[in-house]
Amino acid sequence: MQAISYQSIAAALALGLFATSCKPKLDAPEPGKGALDVSKYVAIGNSITAGFADAALYYDGQLVSYPNLIAEQFKQVGGGDFVQPLVPQASAGIGSSGNARSVLGYKTDCKGVTGLSPVPFATSGDFSIFTNNISAQGPFNNMGIPGAKAITAVYPGYGNPANGFGNYNPFFTRILAPSEFATASMLSKAAAQNPTFFSVFIGNNDVLSYALAGGAADAVTPSAGSPGVGFDASYDLIINTMTANGAKGVVGNIPDVTSIPFATTIPYNGLTLDATQATQLSAAYAPLGITFHEGANAFMILDSSAPGGRRQIKSTEYVLLTTPQDSLKCAGWGSSKPLANQYVLTETEIANIQNAVAAYNAKIKSVAAAKGLAYVDVNAFMAKAKAGIVYNGITTSATFVSGGAFSLDGIHLTPRANALLANEFIKAINSQYGSTIPQVDATKYKGVVFP
Amino acid sequence: MTNLHKLATMLILSSPFISGAQGYQVNLQGQAQQGMANAGTAFVQDGASLFYSPGGMSFLKSNEVNIGVSPTISHGKFLDKNTNLTAETTSPVSYPFAAYGVFGLKDSSRLKLGLGIYTPFGSTVEWEDGWMGRFALTRLQLQAIFFQPTASYKINDKLGIGAGFVYANGKVNLQKDIPVVDANGNYGHAELSGKANGFGFNAGIYYKPVDKFSVALSYRSQVNMQVKSGDATFTVPSSLTSNFPNGKFKSTLPLPQVLTLGLAYTPIEKLTIAADINFVGWKAYDTLAFDYENNTTSLVDTKSAREYKNTFAFRLGGQYKIIDALAVRLGIAYGISPVQNGYVTPETPDANRIIYTAGIGYTIKQKFGINASFYFSQLNREDTNLETGMSGTYKTNVVIPGVSVFYKF
Repeated sequence: MQAISYQSIAAALALGLFATSCKPKLDAPEPGKGALDVSKYVAIGNSITAGFADAALYYDGQLVSYPNLIAEQFKQVGGGDFVQPLVPQASAGIGSSGNARSVLGYKTDCKGVTGLSPVPFATSGDFSIFTNNISAQGPFNNMGIPGAKAITAVYPGYGNPANGFGNYNPFFTRILAPSEFATASMLSKAAAQNPTFFSVFIGNNDVLSYALAGGAADAVTPSAGSPGVGFDASYDLIINTMTANGAKGVVGNIPDVTSIPFATTIPYNGLTLDATQATQLSAAYAPLGITFHEGANAFMILDSSAPGGRRQIKSTEYVLLTTPQDSLKCAGWGSSKPLANQYVLTETEIANIQNAVAAYNAKIKSVAAAKGLAYVDVNAFMAKAKAGIVYNGITTSATFVSGGAFSLDGIHLTPRANALLANEFIKAINSQYGSTIPQVDATKYKGVVFP
Repeated sequence: MTNLHKLATMLILSSPFISGAQGYQVNLQGQAQQGMANAGTAFVQDGASLFYSPGGMSFLKSNEVNIGVSPTISHGKFLDKNTNLTAETTSPVSYPFAAYGVFGLKDSSRLKLGLGIYTPFGSTVEWEDGWMGRFALTRLQLQAIFFQPTASYKINDKLGIGAGFVYANGKVNLQKDIPVVDANGNYGHAELSGKANGFGFNAGIYYKPVDKFSVALSYRSQVNMQVKSGDATFTVPSSLTSNFPNGKFKSTLPLPQVLTLGLAYTPIEKLTIAADINFVGWKAYDTLAFDYENNTTSLVDTKSAREYKNTFAFRLGGQYKIIDALAVRLGIAYGISPVQNGYVTPETPDANRIIYTAGIGYTIKQKFGINASFYFSQLNREDTNLETGMSGTYKTNVVIPGVSVFYKF
């Protein structure tokens, strides 16, 4: 008897050990491509598409460009290689003013206070990026060119050095064979690859270039006008060309520039005064009837239409991130020296930008509907980022540096935000074409890197 | 003899087995009762009645020391709905134990005194390195030891009452990653660790109007496990150390009140069937709050909604004595999850569950005995958490083979 019960117990325990090796069976469903052929994917866009970040085009940023992340997911449903015009891995990168990429570091300001601040990774950008022609590595699936607008994407000779400095885009030149300098457009280089699938996310710079300069330089692209002049005709040309061979695609609309840290980081009332300073400044501006008080005050700005050519900035207006901080803190900028137009977005300029964005977005939406393309409301996505997007326990918001969505230039995205944006594209693609392409695991991608 | 062997094995094999945890509490008490799906309130047969049935404890026929261990083996897997990627738990095996001593002052005494010492949390939950939920949880360890002195008085041959006191002492360790990264790609990490203690009581009444039938009611109060001075330790990039200062924190984790109605019926001498209905007051776990001593803009006190609801569990078990010395047991239970849709977390990926159990017990000369029990439970829950946005399916297999020994004197 005894022996039997011990055996039974042993059997029970053995069964227990057996059961422990039984891990739960929980398998992922097979990804489906639906109506799609993603064997050759080409992306048209600007700096965001290029993977530009931290004020420069550099290797790590390119690797996490949203189209590259999308292409990686496409591989689960028959996607091919996605060739990007990569810069060397060790390169400091290069930005639009010849600068190196920014990193977060320590900086001592004019008052002797040391704090975290974007600082250049190197004293100069890596100009060999422009001088080393890499056209032989092409064709490039990523046709995202920093600085490109909808109207320049269709412009033959956009990379032609013969146009003279300032009249061609060296980011485009580097990927062109010299023989095609005068003739190639971004669109022609994209279409020549005969893609089966494309993405078009362009138009930001048609307003952004104006906005980034505080409305002081460049111009907002008008809706009307022929291709290369007006937004609508240029956009039509891009989409008509890309769909000519029956390719399917996805388009993204344009986010409101006032949702980015470039505009929202410096508060309009960042002029902090003590009682003495407030009295002095009130006395100085007494002829204009402007008074200041102890505590937070609205900055002074130049405005030719205001009495005396200067006024306080309104709460609905923005001081841009390009404003030198030390000048604000120690050199009387924004108080005794009103801020110049290039550092400020006024109500009028904001209205110009928002009207243009609304018109572009109406156009993009109607083209997407007419062509049966997937449509990503990037504007809504960025608006959501203002409050914070929650993903697997991470909140990613548009707050400069700490929010994690925007890189150190306050305009371009961090790797994590690129992953979240790629997911918006994938969701739109799946919804339009009945595919079940898995999204990117955004927890694998970082926000701003802290020292 | 060979037939008996076969029967015992068959009973075990034919039941896809069990586990009886709901929420984060696991009451792995008494192997005889676990074999019967924890339906032990009205069926008083050994020292574990101290836990199950304070009223019925006085009906035990002898003094007893009873000690058991229930190794809890849990394998969890998560399928992320958005990415199709999966992650698994790497939870270690935990060894909850329960020990009871029950004594009468004299053999004929109507009063029985007892002490139970047990560990009511079954497990440590740990997810694999770098999993997609690591900013919600990487590891949660709850350890607690409960001391429960209990007295039971037999008013007459049909009615017994009892009551006791619970002192709980334990520790909690919760870890997760923080989504800030340094230049080497290392993410921040938070570890909240602290000692917890709490108090509670229990009471019960047991009524056996006829030999074949008994009914019992037992109540265990809520025990608030309070962490009064835990240590919050943060590993973050050096530039952020002032944003995430190490320091003390406070928190409370409630263990719910449980009211149980039990019935037991012995139609023939060899067979007893028992049923329990538990009402579990999980509504007490509405919020998981952490109150940090040093707050900063990055480190604010958190209040995470848990919104557990009160719930029921239904338990049915049977014991058959093949011979006087050898009992085999089977049980089945159904537990309703207290976790509502939108609140499933990786720390307790809870679900409604069917629990299957089996057990076997052997007694030598009515003094020494050994009991073995076996639990198996499979949980399956799809959810999108409202707080973290985690969306997917959790599947967990829990296997609990347990063994206990007793000495009656």
